[in-house]
Amino acid sequence: MTATADVTLVVPAVPDSIAVIRQTVSGICEALGADARTVGDIKLAATEACTNVVLHAYAGREPGSIELDAFATEDELRLLVRDRGAGMTPAPMAEGLGLGLPLIAALTSTLTIIEPDEGGTEVSMTFALRDTNPDS
Amino acid sequence: MTGAGRIEATAVDGGWPVIALSGEHDLSTAPELRARLHEFAEADAVIIDLDETTFVDSSILGVLVGGLRRARESDLPFGIVLGDEAHPAIRRIFELTGLHDVFPIYPTRALAQAGLSGDGGPS
Repeated sequence: MTATADVTLVVPAVPDSIAVIRQTVSGICEALGADARTVGDIKLAATEACTNVVLHAYAGREPGSIELDAFATEDELRLLVRDRGAGMTPAPMAEGLGLGLPLIAALTSTLTIIEPDEGGTEVSMTFALRDTNPDS
Repeated sequence: MTGAGRIEATAVDGGWPVIALSGEHDLSTAPELRARLHEFAEADAVIIDLDETTFVDSSILGVLVGGLRRARESDLPFGIVLGDEAHPAIRRIFELTGLHDVFPIYPTRALAQAGLSGDGGPS
Protein backbone atom coordinates (compact mmCIF):
# COMPACT_ATOMS: atom_id res chain seq x y z
CA MET A 1 0.00 0.00 0.00
CA THR A 2 1.31 3.44 -0.81
CA ALA A 3 0.72 6.17 1.71
CA THR A 4 -0.72 9.42 0.47
CA ALA A 5 1.49 12.42 1.10
CA ASP A 6 0.12 15.19 3.28
CA VAL A 7 1.98 17.75 1.19
CA THR A 8 3.41 17.38 -2.32
CA LEU A 9 5.53 19.95 -4.11
CA VAL A 10 7.19 19.77 -7.52
CA VAL A 11 9.66 22.48 -8.50
CA PRO A 12 12.30 22.90 -11.20
CA ALA A 13 15.71 21.51 -10.20
CA VAL A 14 17.42 24.90 -10.07
CA PRO A 15 19.18 26.65 -7.18
CA ASP A 16 16.35 29.14 -6.54
CA SER A 17 13.92 26.26 -5.93
CA ILE A 18 15.83 25.07 -2.89
CA ALA A 19 14.60 27.97 -0.77
CA VAL A 20 11.03 27.29 -1.88
CA ILE A 21 11.24 23.74 -0.58
CA ARG A 22 13.02 24.89 2.57
CA GLN A 23 10.30 27.42 3.35
CA THR A 24 7.61 24.83 2.67
CA VAL A 25 9.27 22.34 5.01
CA SER A 26 9.70 25.04 7.63
CA GLY A 27 6.00 25.85 7.47
CA ILE A 28 5.05 22.18 7.83
CA CYS A 29 7.34 21.80 10.86
CA GLU A 30 5.95 24.87 12.56
CA ALA A 31 2.38 23.73 11.92
CA LEU A 32 3.29 20.44 13.59
CA GLY A 33 4.62 22.26 16.64
CA ALA A 34 8.28 21.28 16.27
CA ASP A 35 10.78 23.26 18.32
CA ALA A 36 13.18 25.69 16.68
CA ARG A 37 16.17 23.35 16.74
CA THR A 38 14.19 20.54 15.12
CA VAL A 39 12.87 22.92 12.48
CA GLY A 40 16.42 24.03 11.76
CA ASP A 41 17.67 20.47 11.44
CA ILE A 42 14.87 19.50 9.07
CA LYS A 43 15.39 22.62 6.94
CA LEU A 44 19.09 21.78 6.65
CA ALA A 45 18.51 18.13 5.71
CA ALA A 46 15.90 19.08 3.10
CA THR A 47 18.24 21.71 1.67
CA GLU A 48 21.11 19.24 1.38
CA ALA A 49 18.90 16.65 -0.33
CA CYS A 50 17.63 19.22 -2.84
CA THR A 51 21.14 20.55 -3.45
CA ASN A 52 22.22 17.04 -4.43
CA VAL A 53 19.40 16.93 -6.97
CA VAL A 54 20.26 20.33 -8.44
CA LEU A 55 23.97 19.59 -8.69
CA HIS A 56 23.99 15.98 -9.77
CA ALA A 57 20.67 14.45 -10.86
CA TYR A 58 20.31 16.08 -14.25
CA ALA A 59 23.94 16.81 -15.11
CA GLY A 60 24.31 16.42 -18.86
CA ARG A 61 20.57 15.80 -19.27
CA GLU A 62 17.43 17.75 -19.91
CA PRO A 63 16.60 19.89 -16.84
CA GLY A 64 14.17 18.13 -14.54
CA SER A 65 12.36 18.62 -11.29
CA ILE A 66 12.67 18.10 -7.57
CA GLU A 67 9.67 16.32 -6.09
CA LEU A 68 8.94 16.59 -2.39
CA ASP A 69 6.42 14.50 -0.49
CA ALA A 70 5.85 15.13 3.21
CA PHE A 71 4.14 12.59 5.49
CA ALA A 72 3.37 13.67 9.03
CA THR A 73 2.24 11.92 12.18
CA GLU A 74 1.97 13.40 15.63
CA ASP A 75 5.57 12.49 16.48
CA GLU A 76 7.32 12.12 13.19
CA LEU A 77 7.84 13.81 9.85
CA ARG A 78 9.00 11.88 6.80
CA LEU A 79 10.27 13.75 3.77
CA LEU A 80 10.72 12.06 0.43
CA VAL A 81 12.91 13.98 -2.02
CA ARG A 82 12.79 12.44 -5.48
CA ASP A 83 14.31 13.17 -8.84
CA ARG A 84 13.98 11.52 -12.25
CA GLY A 85 17.62 11.95 -13.15
CA ALA A 86 20.75 9.87 -13.43
CA GLY A 87 20.59 8.11 -10.08
CA MET A 88 23.35 8.10 -7.51
CA THR A 89 26.68 8.45 -9.27
CA PRO A 90 30.03 9.36 -7.79
CA ALA A 91 30.32 13.09 -8.41
CA PRO A 92 33.59 14.61 -9.50
CA MET A 93 34.60 16.86 -6.62
CA ALA A 94 34.84 20.03 -8.63
CA GLU A 95 33.75 21.92 -5.55
CA GLY A 96 32.02 21.32 -2.31
CA LEU A 97 33.09 19.37 0.69
CA GLY A 98 31.03 16.22 0.21
CA LEU A 99 29.24 17.05 3.43
CA GLY A 100 25.69 16.80 2.12
CA LEU A 101 24.90 13.15 2.77
CA PRO A 102 26.87 12.95 6.04
CA LEU A 103 24.93 15.97 7.28
CA ILE A 104 21.61 14.40 6.26
CA ALA A 105 22.60 11.18 8.04
CA ALA A 106 23.47 13.12 11.19
CA LEU A 107 20.18 15.03 11.17
CA THR A 108 17.71 12.21 10.49
CA SER A 109 16.42 9.40 12.67
CA THR A 110 16.26 7.16 9.60
CA LEU A 111 17.67 7.71 6.12
CA THR A 112 16.96 5.53 3.10
CA ILE A 113 18.25 6.13 -0.42
CA ILE A 114 16.91 4.03 -3.25
CA GLU A 115 17.14 4.06 -7.02
CA PRO A 116 13.70 3.10 -8.37
CA ASP A 117 13.48 0.91 -11.44
CA GLU A 118 12.03 3.81 -13.41
CA GLY A 119 15.18 5.87 -12.75
CA GLY A 120 16.25 8.71 -10.54
CA THR A 121 16.85 8.70 -6.83
CA GLU A 122 14.56 8.76 -3.80
CA VAL A 123 15.90 10.05 -0.52
CA SER A 124 13.60 9.23 2.39
CA MET A 125 14.33 11.09 5.61
CA THR A 126 12.49 10.62 8.90
CA PHE A 127 12.71 13.10 11.75
CA ALA A 128 11.45 12.87 15.31
CA LEU A 129 9.35 15.94 16.03
CA ARG A 130 9.51 15.68 19.82
CA ASP A 131 12.62 15.40 21.90
CA THR A 132 12.17 12.08 23.67
CA ASN A 133 15.29 12.58 25.78
CA PRO A 134 14.78 15.50 28.16
CA ASP A 135 18.48 15.48 29.09
CA SER A 136 19.71 16.13 25.55
CA MET B 1 11.67 35.42 -1.86
CA THR B 2 11.16 34.82 1.83
CA GLY B 3 14.41 34.59 3.74
CA ALA B 4 16.53 35.31 0.69
CA GLY B 5 20.05 36.10 1.68
CA ARG B 6 22.00 39.29 1.13
CA ILE B 7 25.74 39.68 0.92
CA GLU B 8 27.35 43.01 1.70
CA ALA B 9 31.06 43.73 1.42
CA THR B 10 32.38 46.68 3.40
CA ALA B 11 35.82 48.23 3.34
CA VAL B 12 37.00 49.25 6.78
CA ASP B 13 39.39 52.18 7.29
CA GLY B 14 42.51 50.86 8.92
CA GLY B 15 41.11 47.36 9.15
CA TRP B 16 40.30 44.26 7.20
CA PRO B 17 37.29 44.26 4.85
CA VAL B 18 34.13 42.61 6.12
CA ILE B 19 31.72 40.46 4.10
CA ALA B 20 28.43 40.29 5.99
CA LEU B 21 25.79 37.69 5.19
CA SER B 22 22.21 38.27 6.26
CA GLY B 23 19.20 35.99 5.88
CA GLU B 24 19.39 32.51 4.38
CA HIS B 25 22.19 31.29 2.13
CA ASP B 26 22.48 28.16 0.04
CA LEU B 27 23.48 27.05 -3.45
CA SER B 28 21.65 30.04 -4.95
CA THR B 29 23.90 32.60 -3.23
CA ALA B 30 27.11 30.54 -3.07
CA PRO B 31 28.40 31.90 -6.43
CA GLU B 32 27.99 35.50 -5.26
CA LEU B 33 29.82 34.76 -2.02
CA ARG B 34 32.60 33.03 -3.95
CA ALA B 35 32.91 36.06 -6.24
CA ARG B 36 33.08 38.45 -3.30
CA LEU B 37 35.77 36.35 -1.67
CA HIS B 38 37.78 36.27 -4.89
CA GLU B 39 37.74 40.08 -4.94
CA PHE B 40 39.81 40.04 -1.77
CA ALA B 41 41.46 36.66 -1.86
CA GLU B 42 44.91 37.47 -3.13
CA ALA B 43 45.34 40.95 -1.72
CA ASP B 44 43.67 41.08 1.61
CA ALA B 45 42.50 39.25 4.65
CA VAL B 46 38.76 38.88 5.03
CA ILE B 47 36.33 38.83 7.89
CA ILE B 48 33.06 36.97 7.27
CA ASP B 49 30.31 38.23 9.56
CA LEU B 50 27.56 35.64 10.15
CA ASP B 51 25.82 37.45 13.01
CA GLU B 52 22.77 38.32 10.88
CA THR B 53 22.74 35.02 9.00
CA THR B 54 19.80 32.72 9.69
CA PHE B 55 20.74 29.71 7.56
CA VAL B 56 23.74 28.29 5.71
CA ASP B 57 24.19 24.90 4.08
CA SER B 58 27.19 22.86 2.98
CA SER B 59 27.41 24.85 -0.28
CA ILE B 60 28.23 27.96 1.73
CA LEU B 61 30.59 26.08 4.02
CA GLY B 62 32.40 24.85 0.91
CA VAL B 63 32.90 28.42 -0.28
CA LEU B 64 34.14 29.48 3.16
CA VAL B 65 36.59 26.58 3.34
CA GLY B 66 37.85 27.54 -0.12
CA GLY B 67 38.35 31.11 1.09
CA LEU B 68 40.21 29.91 4.17
CA ARG B 69 42.45 27.66 2.07
CA ARG B 70 43.35 30.45 -0.36
CA ALA B 71 44.00 32.84 2.52
CA ARG B 72 46.37 30.37 4.13
CA GLU B 73 48.15 29.78 0.81
CA SER B 74 48.71 33.54 0.60
CA ASP B 75 49.64 33.73 4.27
CA LEU B 76 46.71 36.05 4.94
CA PRO B 77 44.35 35.81 7.89
CA PHE B 78 40.72 34.80 7.48
CA GLY B 79 38.21 35.00 10.29
CA ILE B 80 34.54 34.49 11.02
CA VAL B 81 32.34 36.54 13.33
CA LEU B 82 29.77 34.46 15.16
CA GLY B 83 28.53 36.10 18.34
CA ASP B 84 26.51 34.81 21.25
CA GLU B 85 23.34 36.27 19.68
CA ALA B 86 23.92 34.62 16.30
CA HIS B 87 21.24 32.26 15.01
CA PRO B 88 21.61 28.82 16.66
CA ALA B 89 21.34 27.10 13.26
CA ILE B 90 24.64 28.63 12.20
CA ARG B 91 26.56 27.43 15.23
CA ARG B 92 24.84 24.05 14.83
CA ILE B 93 26.14 23.39 11.30
CA PHE B 94 29.63 24.47 12.24
CA GLU B 95 29.56 22.05 15.17
CA LEU B 96 28.00 19.20 13.16
CA THR B 97 30.70 19.46 10.54
CA GLY B 98 33.57 20.07 12.97
CA LEU B 99 34.38 23.31 11.15
CA HIS B 100 34.12 25.33 14.37
CA ASP B 101 37.58 23.91 15.13
CA VAL B 102 38.92 24.82 11.68
CA PHE B 103 37.98 28.49 11.33
CA PRO B 104 39.17 31.27 13.59
CA ILE B 105 35.82 32.37 15.08
CA TYR B 106 35.40 35.67 16.93
CA PRO B 107 32.40 36.91 18.93
CA THR B 108 32.48 40.46 17.47
CA ARG B 109 33.85 42.31 14.45
CA ALA B 110 36.09 44.39 16.71
CA LEU B 111 37.65 41.29 18.24
CA ALA B 112 38.06 39.79 14.77
CA GLN B 113 39.84 42.92 13.55
CA ALA B 114 42.10 42.91 16.63
CA GLY B 115 42.71 39.18 16.49
CA LEU B 116 43.50 39.07 12.78
CA SER B 117 45.73 42.13 13.05
CA GLY B 118 47.74 40.08 15.51
CA ASP B 119 48.28 37.68 12.61
CA GLY B 120 50.10 40.37 10.66
CA GLY B 121 47.24 42.66 9.75
CA PRO B 122 47.26 46.36 8.86
CA SER B 123 49.08 48.60 11.31
